[in-house]
Amino acid sequence: MLVACVLLSLAALVLPAPQRSTIAGALRGSIVVPLAALQERAEVSRRAILAYDASVRIADSVRLRASQSDVVDAENERLRRLLGLGAALKWGFVPAEALHGRGLGDDYTMTLTVGRQEGVVPFSPVVAPEGLVGMVETVDASSSVAIVWPHPDFRVSAMSADGTAFGIVYPHLGSGATRFLLELRGVAFRNALRPGTLIVSAGLGGVYPRGIPVGTVLSELRTAEGWARNYLLRPAVRPVDATAVMVVQPQRAREGVAAVWQSAVDSALKMVVSAGDSLARRRADSLATTERQRLDSLQAVRPRADSAAPPVTPPPRRVP
Amino acid sequence: MRTARGLWFSIVFLLLVGLHYTLRPVLGWHASIDFLAIAVLLVAVRARPGVATLVGFAVGLVSDSMMPGAFGAGALAFSIVAYTASSLKAAFFADNVALNAVFVFLGKWVGDLIFLAAEHRLGGSEFLSQALLWSPLAATVTALVGVAVLLLVRPAVGTPRG
Repeated sequence: MLVACVLLSLAALVLPAPQRSTIAGALRGSIVVPLAALQERAEVSRRAILAYDASVRIADSVRLRASQSDVVDAENERLRRLLGLGAALKWGFVPAEALHGRGLGDDYTMTLTVGRQEGVVPFSPVVAPEGLVGMVETVDASSSVAIVWPHPDFRVSAMSADGTAFGIVYPHLGSGATRFLLELRGVAFRNALRPGTLIVSAGLGGVYPRGIPVGTVLSELRTAEGWARNYLLRPAVRPVDATAVMVVQPQRAREGVAAVWQSAVDSALKMVVSAGDSLARRRADSLATTERQRLDSLQAVRPRADSAAPPVTPPPRRVP
Repeated sequence: MRTARGLWFSIVFLLLVGLHYTLRPVLGWHASIDFLAIAVLLVAVRARPGVATLVGFAVGLVSDSMMPGAFGAGALAFSIVAYTASSLKAAFFADNVALNAVFVFLGKWVGDLIFLAAEHRLGGSEFLSQALLWSPLAATVTALVGVAVLLLVRPAVGTPRG
């Protein structure tokens, strides 16, 4: 048997290539078919396993680039808006890079890359395209330190964008996530503010010029005092996002900057008005069944219109 | 009893042939496990030399059909290895794991050497590196797996005949 098998094997080895191919092909086309199919599937599986690693690597790098692209886009958008702010201010400002520390207490201050040499003086407002960031506290030759709105000493005289309600904005000294919100205190009791109302600096006190967005009303805070209302505000600017800011110089602040953010105020007002309109429409629809309910709703609107009377403005605590 | 063992033996044999064409390509090792050699040696220690040679020749032909350039080389190698293993099994197949491993190692390596010599494809340093490095490595891996297979299937297929 061995001799026969060896002879057959040797014969297969010395056969001309076409005949060998014919015999091999006949085998592949008959009894080896399932084995060939198995091998083919196994090799496809192996290629898939190898390609999976490569595709994961490619997907990871694409995802990384995409995430970096988001950051770059956000930075570009911020710089574009800062350029727009500079164009609107026209003069009397110093652009600066804001450096954020990562230590304890660094949530309350930021270091600016401009100082006395660039014309920065203490008590200059620091602003971003979104609104008020803080105020310069100390000035060195080429750098300065500004307190930002979460700082416990931060105060700004503020008013609603339509000028109907005035108060003082403080940092909200709550715990947890609400620590990074603001409070509008001392609003006259008759001046009820709706959530979403834009609050801007009032220009009283001589530090912050009128019209810089400070935040928007989130909700009313319950207090024991019955003669004034306090509101919780969502700040206009998140300090960690403020990487490039403008320091407004005192003479420019005295000239007024209200027109700079007016478009933002207008659009916010439009949003509030449209929200109010849609609410009114909804209310009108729901109360349209009886004439008496409609009259009641009109009466409810009237006192609010009367609330546009000049308010009592409390003085800001911090005066340079 | 004998029929059941024969059935189990056939299943193991087919499983090993199947693994050669599924697991081996997936692993893709340079020094790969030769499940066909294990299957042929498994037959060789349980069959008479004539039958073992015939099985080796058939398995070799199936293997060669996938690589027509070396058609006949695998058949020659497996025929000789199967015949020799079947003839020497009394000497090697005591109940000793190390001896079984050496048996599988030598079977695979000698089979590779016969194959390399018969196919005439490699020459010089390539032949030497294949014959003295990759083939022994593949034989080692095959021996390890072969011993594991022998230990696993022994309860089902019984000990080799003396």
